Amino acid sequence: MDYSWLLILIPALPLAGAAAVAAGTQTRINRRFLVGLACAVVAASFVAAVLVRLQYNQVAPDGYLWLPLWSWGVDGVGLGLLGDAVSTWFALVVTGVGFLIHLYSVAYMADDPGYARFFAKLNFFIFAMSLLVLADGFVGMLIGWANVGVASYLLIGFWHQRPAAAAAARKAYWVNAVGEVGLILGFIILLTHFGSLRFVDVLPQAWSAPAGVLNAAALLMLVGAVAKSAQLPLHVWLPDAMQGPTPVSALIHAATMVTAGVYLVVRAHPIFAAAPWGSAAVAAVGIASVLFGALAALAQTDIKRVLAFSTMSQVGYMMLGAGVGAYAAALFHFATHAFFKALLFLGAGVVIHRFGDNQDIRRMGGLGRYQPFTYWTFLIATLALVGLPPLSGFYSKDTIVVSALMAGHPWLWLLAVAGAGLTAFYMLRLFCLVFTGEPPQDLAREELEHPVPAVKVIALAALAVLSVIGGFFAMPDLSGVPGAAAGAAAGAHGAAEVALGGLVVTERQASLLTMGLLLLVSIIGGGLAIRRFGPGRQPVQETAYARAALRGFYFDDLYRAAFVRPLAAVADWVGGIVDPHVIDGAVNGVARLAATLATGVRRLHPGYLRRYALALMAAVAIVLLYFVLVI
Amino acid sequence: MGIEGYVIVSAVLFVLGVTGVLVRRSPLVMLMAIELMWGAAALLVLTFGRLFGYMDAHVFAFMIIVVGAAEAAIGLALIVQMFRTKEAADVDDVRALRG
Repeated sequence: MDYSWLLILIPALPLAGAAAVAAGTQTRINRRFLVGLACAVVAASFVAAVLVRLQYNQVAPDGYLWLPLWSWGVDGVGLGLLGDAVSTWFALVVTGVGFLIHLYSVAYMADDPGYARFFAKLNFFIFAMSLLVLADGFVGMLIGWANVGVASYLLIGFWHQRPAAAAAARKAYWVNAVGEVGLILGFIILLTHFGSLRFVDVLPQAWSAPAGVLNAAALLMLVGAVAKSAQLPLHVWLPDAMQGPTPVSALIHAATMVTAGVYLVVRAHPIFAAAPWGSAAVAAVGIASVLFGALAALAQTDIKRVLAFSTMSQVGYMMLGAGVGAYAAALFHFATHAFFKALLFLGAGVVIHRFGDNQDIRRMGGLGRYQPFTYWTFLIATLALVGLPPLSGFYSKDTIVVSALMAGHPWLWLLAVAGAGLTAFYMLRLFCLVFTGEPPQDLAREELEHPVPAVKVIALAALAVLSVIGGFFAMPDLSGVPGAAAGAAAGAHGAAEVALGGLVVTERQASLLTMGLLLLVSIIGGGLAIRRFGPGRQPVQETAYARAALRGFYFDDLYRAAFVRPLAAVADWVGGIVDPHVIDGAVNGVARLAATLATGVRRLHPGYLRRYALALMAAVAIVLLYFVLVI
Repeated sequence: MGIEGYVIVSAVLFVLGVTGVLVRRSPLVMLMAIELMWGAAALLVLTFGRLFGYMDAHVFAFMIIVVGAAEAAIGLALIVQMFRTKEAADVDDVRALRG
């Protein structure tokens, strides 16, 4: 019995839900019913994903589920759904975390006038993301990729009355448009070389392609991945994306969409691994983003921007894992990160509401005494992110860092360890500023003690449990993935031992050393943060470093000067000078020319009858003379 | 008297007609001058028809006379209207449709 048809349910249900809810917003149907419907379809989609995963387990590790839908008459360019280790893993997290965040939003968005509209857009996002991860070829993936971009735009700009939100939505869309150009060019190179865009046709043959083709395809696809995953240097849209409602930040800009770049690298890993420059570029982008995100998060004052830069940093770890060949570890970290980062954002949503819609952590404090449930869940998520054993982040992050060493990159390994220290510092700084110390004077006690609604409690509790036990899940086994490399199938680490400058390190030694070091730097970083920002803290000072970090280390200013201003100047020139003078001048010039000619021709018609007759006769005479003299 | 005589007479008539149209201002006289040109053309058609034994030329001559008559009728109607509206006896005064 073949259950491949279940695959279609995962994207189709949310799409139908989005259409139904969007249509329902225009009618008098009860809003609560629409919201319930939106949650139900995502729940059903999650059930379908679970069934697909169980079905896949029947054929694992060498088989996979495949459901061709249709082709556009060209060989290898079609749409189908593929259920293998990577796609089912992603589909589970997307629909599962997506459902919990839908649940949370039921309470969080209840007072918003766009209540049902919000859920229609959220459903649409789940559809696009599940299509992205379940597609059986680069074509379907691109369709999903473009649609998550649209969903992201719609949801960042959900409060479109706010100019800042509208600008942030546009910015996210533009940066991702840049990435999509690279992505499509990469796909075109693959299509021309392999004659197909199906994974099963392209990826197993990747090693046979010439180095130039592989390099070009890998680097162009990486541009797309860097834009979508907010990695350096195309990260500038992510902090601004925090203008969207908090559940959106949790779902799209932390748990799912920003990891699409990681999915792309893992899915196309035969290409990246075979390309001489591919994996190195991925790892370089990853480690740069790890450090940049952490350094920027250190001094942010807006709770959501801290988490945004932290997301950039953590996705950097996934990229680093994918760059050193630890694809399974990258997927593992994607899942655990989705749990605790979604939890952090949802917790932040509660915190923001309790402090009267204020997001500035300098004007927070002491919430732990009034909100023990939020305190504990936030603490679990924080420690999971820092990587404290035995929480989930410890397993996934440590595996990646160990893999960097085992792949023979001691420098990457050192930098990744340093990044973990910074992570511990900024997360505990955030935690202390929000939950310890004294609350601001101007806040009412009952506002702080306001109970958390039941649906939010369910979502937070479920994510907290997942954050705790997520590390005990089996690491995904990638041996059945199309074109799987032998190294990738072996799990996390490429080699059993590695020689570093004459020193031979076994995997066990490397693991123990890394875990010890990570724990040490985390404790140092966290301890420093607690001492500085814990109970009895001094106010947060504004240093020169903080000013730079708040401005995102001037990347925005650089892009504004390098791209936005010149383009705006060109646009002004075209709109202010070329269009009115050159284009309109040409158009009006044609008209004026006709008018001038007409004025000249007018003179031929004076109205004197006998002049016409004379002209006629003269012409006859000339013709006659011509015939007589010449012929 | 060969064919030349007829041709010369036709040419003289035609030139007289042209000159009349060009130098006279009265619309009535101009109509008559045009009629002279019609006659010249008819004469020439008959002449050459006779020369080449092409007897259909008679039909054409009648055709020319008919067309000339029709043209004269239209012309006269126009002249009558001209007098009624403008009291003008001079074609140079009728310039309402100039460019």
